[in-house]
Amino acid sequence: MAKLTIDGKEIEVPDGTSLFDACGKARGEALPHFCYHPDLSIAGVCRLCQVEVEGMPKLTIACNTTVRDGMVVHTRNERVTKASTQILEMHLINHPVDCPICDQAGECGLQNQYMSHGLYESKVEMEAKVNKGKAEVIGPYVILDQERCVLCSRCVRFCLEVTGTGEMGIFNRGDRAEIGTAPGVELDNNYSMNTVDICPVGALTSRDFRFQKRVWMLKAASSVCPGCATGCNVRIDHAAGRVYRLKPRYNPEVNGRWMCDMGRMTYKAVLEENRLGDPVSAGQTGNWAGVSGAVADLGTKDGFGLIIGSPHQSLEEMQLLKLLAGDSPVHGGLAGADRSEKDALLLDADRTPNRKGLTLMGIDQGDGAALAATIKGVSGPVLIHGGDPAADLAVAESLGAKSVVYLGTHNNATAALAAVVLPGAMWAEKAGIFINRDGRLQEFKQSVARHGNAREDWRILAELMKVTGKESAPGSLKAVRTELNAVIGGDADLNKLPERGFVPGGEVR
Amino acid sequence: MTRSNYNILSARFGRPDGHLLSVYEAEGGYKALRMALTMQPAEIRDVVKEAGLRGRGGAGFPTGVKWGFVPEGSEEVYFFVNADESEPGTFKDRFCLDYDPHQTLEGTIISCFAVQAKLAFIYIRGEFGWLVDRCQAAVDEAYAAGYLGKNILGSGFDLDVIVHKGAGAYICGEETGLINSVEGLKGQPKIKPPFPAVSGFLDKPTIVNNVESVASIPWIINNGSEAYKKFGTEKSCGTKLWSVSGPVKKPGVYEVPLGMPFKEFFHDYLEGMVEGEELKAVIVGGSSVPVLPADEIMSCNLDYESLMNAGTMLGSGGMIVIPESSDMVELIQVLMHFYFDESCGQCTPCREGTGWLHKIVKKLRRGEGTAADIDLLGHVCDGMAGLTICPLSDAAVMPMRSFIDKFRPEFEALIQETAPAEPVSRWPRGEQE
Repeated sequence: MAKLTIDGKEIEVPDGTSLFDACGKARGEALPHFCYHPDLSIAGVCRLCQVEVEGMPKLTIACNTTVRDGMVVHTRNERVTKASTQILEMHLINHPVDCPICDQAGECGLQNQYMSHGLYESKVEMEAKVNKGKAEVIGPYVILDQERCVLCSRCVRFCLEVTGTGEMGIFNRGDRAEIGTAPGVELDNNYSMNTVDICPVGALTSRDFRFQKRVWMLKAASSVCPGCATGCNVRIDHAAGRVYRLKPRYNPEVNGRWMCDMGRMTYKAVLEENRLGDPVSAGQTGNWAGVSGAVADLGTKDGFGLIIGSPHQSLEEMQLLKLLAGDSPVHGGLAGADRSEKDALLLDADRTPNRKGLTLMGIDQGDGAALAATIKGVSGPVLIHGGDPAADLAVAESLGAKSVVYLGTHNNATAALAAVVLPGAMWAEKAGIFINRDGRLQEFKQSVARHGNAREDWRILAELMKVTGKESAPGSLKAVRTELNAVIGGDADLNKLPERGFVPGGEVR
Repeated sequence: MTRSNYNILSARFGRPDGHLLSVYEAEGGYKALRMALTMQPAEIRDVVKEAGLRGRGGAGFPTGVKWGFVPEGSEEVYFFVNADESEPGTFKDRFCLDYDPHQTLEGTIISCFAVQAKLAFIYIRGEFGWLVDRCQAAVDEAYAAGYLGKNILGSGFDLDVIVHKGAGAYICGEETGLINSVEGLKGQPKIKPPFPAVSGFLDKPTIVNNVESVASIPWIINNGSEAYKKFGTEKSCGTKLWSVSGPVKKPGVYEVPLGMPFKEFFHDYLEGMVEGEELKAVIVGGSSVPVLPADEIMSCNLDYESLMNAGTMLGSGGMIVIPESSDMVELIQVLMHFYFDESCGQCTPCREGTGWLHKIVKKLRRGEGTAADIDLLGHVCDGMAGLTICPLSDAAVMPMRSFIDKFRPEFEALIQETAPAEPVSRWPRGEQE
């Protein structure tokens, strides 16, 4: 441990700690900075985190300094403040200051730091600025406003050190220096939008989110990406009932500070036109009041003959499917349909968020042929929860002879052949738990209101339990989780999952 | 061309055959190497340390001390000879390599033995194309004679030397910029610490020495540290090459002992100004050091300490003599254009500051400046000095500040008396609608 004094305050930190982190700890807020990023190498180019270390003649940058026992450091004295104020002025002299039309406004490092220690009075005439490019498309998801760039090199280091793809570079020198991609190269890797997250200014912005919403109007909900089995922790940014974007949420056990571009686009499904908004019975749009009768009319008094679940649904819902099924079989849907290529970083080949949930609940999984055979072998109505098993021709054919109740979110092949269609909630519209590929139980929370008259799936399933004469239909999601605690065993408490998730039986990595 | 009685470095300067191995050997060349190879590497380091040889590239850091920073027992050490001589006003290293490449090469081999480097690079400024050929020819001769390669002169010491041509960036003369350049990266300085002596080329201990420093080594080994210290002052030992430009009667490269009074050097060697010119000022150590007006430089001695006390630096020894007829603002514009053009753009204060200084000086020269602009130059310098990875930012600030300090009336003369002190709004009241 090293004991040091920062701004008159004594603190103790482990040996080897960066002075940048020690200062942040002592001050309660980070030093001003653009280029420092905890997951990237030290560049030391923005020069903003200057501090005075007693005994050293010059100011030094904290990010490239390791603490020493007995160090006496000043971060707010006149000398340091003058330096950082002037360096910030340098960052701004060729900046267009186009905050009113910049997407980064509201979450911009330059803006924030300027508010806390800017000079407020420009000494540069507009005509004297160095002009650089505007709105250059550099990849499928990212757009570059050259003139806003402060050349912190975070994006360059990200592409070199994290993805290893090296698309970005800094070209030319002096105040003509510009970030960009090499000729003929696009910023096109699975993680390109992370450069938007780490860009401290409005130079790299998301083509998807650009001009959609002012960031200070957004509300945030913590959630889990439903795009693959990795289960990256995300923040859903939403406003007025609409999801605008997903951002990675820090979880060192799962995704660190990153997430993939495909994961970021999963929210699009929530906004799609073909969402199911009302219960449908025999082709007629109805309301929830008529649902119990419609389902009962299919001969479900003694329950369903088969229930087909899906690895896209929450653990609680899988538990309810089991209860609802009683002695009837529960199948896990089409296991092979959601596989694709994986990459070395986060993206898993299994593009479903909760296959481990099916495994835990002991729900069978198989391919289309196996599922079709299972369907043929049972009698009574079939309940399908989520997914689109009828997209498989063999499954669709075998379902043709059955009375099907479909609880889903989109108008798809399965909805088309169902006798009763019940609109459920997408993941952003409900709460639940996914188990990721490492067996980590992670909770996602509701961020936006449900589409149309859709309902939370657990309520619909509880209702179906009543219709089919099952006792003990749960009255709350909490009750379902309490029951699941026993299934998982150990010291699991699903009603109090830690923020970074919980792995039954200990940490996996 | 040198005209001096001192020939530690300049014995063969100006001679058409001085670059040949046969000539060098006939005049005692590679004797020092034979002697060095019988010594312990640490002994050589001590001799150089005791001789008080200081880095001749500009910083003046003791060469032997620098060698000592290589961690004991390092397996893989690299050595770079910095021949990226780009400091405006400086043209001494090219004399060394042009007229006497073998002396630098012998110094290189001895230095490599001292730090136990097995591979050395001679990094030559891109514009010095012909020097690449000259050095390569010398290296080829040395290989053929057994001074390079495996088991040099039967000592068991191996060394390869690669002559590397830069692409002409000033910043590659900064030692870590130079290393980056050879590594194939963008020519810009690396962040320090770690310093190259600990982690440099390919993250291995690396020593970068200026040509003139390296060229001094064979003489020091041959004659010993005491003999070397007989030249110069107590803290500024040995002789120094001065490259002198400007309207003096005899510009050129001179080798003189450190500590010589400028007055003596100016009158006896340079023979004063050309007819019709008066001395106005001198930039004594390359364009990056503060300028001294005539009366101040006339009382200086040419050594590290005297010049430091006078408020400037010995730097690289690139002496720029400025006559009364020169416009100091025009001169500083030329210099500010240089630093603006050569800034690598990595650190914000330098990237933005060098361009800003250049713009303000240009504005003053256009006659559009105000009194506030002169103060603004000082303000910009404040935001640049001592705040960057490498000294290029300071190298721009030092001349800029000193030109204003020493020649402020010339700046003020460019300000139109009618010009407003504060910039007016671009949209005066009433024009907004």
